[in-house]
Amino acid sequence: MGRLGTALTLFFKILFNRETAEKAQAVLLLPAAGEAPAPTTKPEPPKPAEPPKPAVPRGVDALVLLAALQREARFLDLFQEDLSSFADAQIGAAVRDVHRDTKATLERIFGIERLRDEEEGTSIAVPAGFNPLELRLVGSVGATPPETARLVHAGWRATKCELPKWNGQPEAAKILAPAEAEV
Amino acid sequence: MPANYVVGIDLGTTNSVVAYASLETEQAEVELLELPQLIAPHTIDSRHSLPSFVYLGGEAEKSQQALDLPWADQRDFAVGEIARRQSADAPDRTVGGAKSWLSHHKVDRQQDILPWNAPEGLPQISPVEATRRYLEHLAAAWNAKFPESSLQEQTVVLTVPASFDASARELTREAAQGAGLPDTLVLLEEPQAAVYAWLNHWGEKWRKQLKVNDRLLVCDVGGGTTDLTLVQVDEEGGELSLRRVAVGNHLLVGGDNMDLAMAFDVSTLFAEKGVNLDPWQSISLWHSCRAAKETLLQDENADAQPISVLGRGSKLIGGTVTVDVPRDRALKLLLDGFFPKCGADAHPERGHSSGFQELGLPYESDPAITRHLAAFLQAHRDEAEKPVTHVLFNGGVFKSDAFQDRLMEVLADWNTEAPQRLAGPHDLDYAVARGAAFYGWAKRHGGIRIRGGTARAYYIGVERAGLAIPGAPRPLNLVNVVPIGMEEGTSIHVPSQEVGLIVGETAKFRFFSSPIRKDDQPGQALSRWDEEEIAETDPLETLLPKDDAIQESSVPVTFESKITELGQLELWCVSPRTGGRWKLEFNVREDD
Repeated sequence: MGRLGTALTLFFKILFNRETAEKAQAVLLLPAAGEAPAPTTKPEPPKPAEPPKPAVPRGVDALVLLAALQREARFLDLFQEDLSSFADAQIGAAVRDVHRDTKATLERIFGIERLRDEEEGTSIAVPAGFNPLELRLVGSVGATPPETARLVHAGWRATKCELPKWNGQPEAAKILAPAEAEV
Repeated sequence: MPANYVVGIDLGTTNSVVAYASLETEQAEVELLELPQLIAPHTIDSRHSLPSFVYLGGEAEKSQQALDLPWADQRDFAVGEIARRQSADAPDRTVGGAKSWLSHHKVDRQQDILPWNAPEGLPQISPVEATRRYLEHLAAAWNAKFPESSLQEQTVVLTVPASFDASARELTREAAQGAGLPDTLVLLEEPQAAVYAWLNHWGEKWRKQLKVNDRLLVCDVGGGTTDLTLVQVDEEGGELSLRRVAVGNHLLVGGDNMDLAMAFDVSTLFAEKGVNLDPWQSISLWHSCRAAKETLLQDENADAQPISVLGRGSKLIGGTVTVDVPRDRALKLLLDGFFPKCGADAHPERGHSSGFQELGLPYESDPAITRHLAAFLQAHRDEAEKPVTHVLFNGGVFKSDAFQDRLMEVLADWNTEAPQRLAGPHDLDYAVARGAAFYGWAKRHGGIRIRGGTARAYYIGVERAGLAIPGAPRPLNLVNVVPIGMEEGTSIHVPSQEVGLIVGETAKFRFFSSPIRKDDQPGQALSRWDEEEIAETDPLETLLPKDDAIQESSVPVTFESKITELGQLELWCVSPRTGGRWKLEFNVREDD
């Protein structure tokens, strides 16, 4: 392989493989200062770069989530409705479908799991130095935490957060569901 | 840059899936490709499958950039989830089921005919173009994820129904090439791909699961089609080997038919309550039935399942109507309708000819999959009468165990010894794509191959000499040009009588195929045949241009057939005298 070949091979390896890039930087360039490796300076990519999309302003993700729940499960239609005029059975019939689809949508986006596997109502071990973000002790908690406690709520956790991506103008994301008119 | 990956593409009637494996690893590690797609205007999400629908939008969507993708601006159409949803709201602008149209010989598949019966002025595209757009989307998703290994340079395996004949395969290949897939593209039969996925799961241990003379039935019931295949276990040099011995006809019956049948039945329950559903509600009912189907079939304790149709407007609760669907009613409808118990000698019931027939897709008039299966097994019962010993399921329909159980029950009734469900996972949604990737990987690394050659025999129609009767077509002889089981990479000089081609004119030949007639040899001529056994496909044509070497007005030719390494069928007219060769091409235009 000539020097050009080597150079090109290294070029692509450095460009597409972070490990190689870091190695190359460590060996060929000045030692990276501090613990954080300086970002690799990107050479011109081989293909025309995508036009830069405007940065997504804060909150668009939340609007996208609401729109997804409405689209998949008619979430807003249910929660915007005034329940006072309906009998429980009537509400139940409608909720069943919304519930099924809301659950499936949340599952797909967040992969929601119980935080604790133990049955609620049973006694669980409280290890010393437990993470207060994952376990909250309630009731008469003394100065030193007890070794066991009764589980009252198993907690929830998202195993992922894969929201649909918004590809339009931020302002347009506020349309959670378009009006529909039949022709 | 050498190919790094093998990519398996399952181009489904209702959903497409892409799986891939690196060619550099010791073991095949097959993964699914995430497929970014529009799910609503401006909204992109990734799924493991791309619904095979095209939505043909308008100027407004284009100028709003509502249908744009990370890799495409100013789009006026969209494929995938958004298009599937639009098929409910705007059926006149949505194309679905393009794959079923590809093998429908009664229409011109290059012509802009879809959506079928779209009102004047709305855009239409051809079945080939719709297929090209699905594949183009899959290719773009690949290239977005692996910008340094473009799909064009990878080993790509695309699956087609085993029942696709040579012309449907050719059209699929044409769409693939238009979408930027490599010329080295290999086509693999879907049920075989499902078997490869199973082989990948077991590795070398598969040999413990099957023994010589076992017969494996692959039963693939997808959203729109049913595809049946028989695989025989042989012994070669002390090693077990697999041979595909039979494929079924293209059956247009699948899971969607079941959901529709149930929705129709439930709508009569609504009608009894005095509720008439509008078209939009009917679609929503269809969706609810799909979900309720599984609960009803699975849960033996449920006597009935409430099915609701939500109010159309934003007033959700007030507009909601509900009926209770009794479990036995659903069981009867779905199990006895689609998987009825029947004898091993059963045949699908012929439909009533209603005087006029619409030219839409030729849906099966008998939805009973078990009766189609009985007919398939009868047609392929060989001398030894080997019974089916194992079954591999594929397709979303079999997520309901009740259907698997019923099919196994029926097969047990037909055999002295009950067949077994093949041990191991039956990955109903993704096995075909995964198996396709594994097939490509095993091809490179040397692994088990399923043999079998062509699934069909092919015949060229040649007019018999004789007195012409005014007004009557000349009688036709069928000349076998490809026998069943012709292997890839082989060619045959067909020993038949010479046919005269007129110079300077397009010569047309009618063309036929049969998945059943195993004993016909090349050159064999048939003057009568059973239409159940031999079906006509697209005609072939070739043009002999006038040139200096040809003095006569017609040239006597014989035929030569070839199956390429990639599994493509090529037919040639050859002139023994001049040495000239002319390739016969499919004419997929509408019959006159």
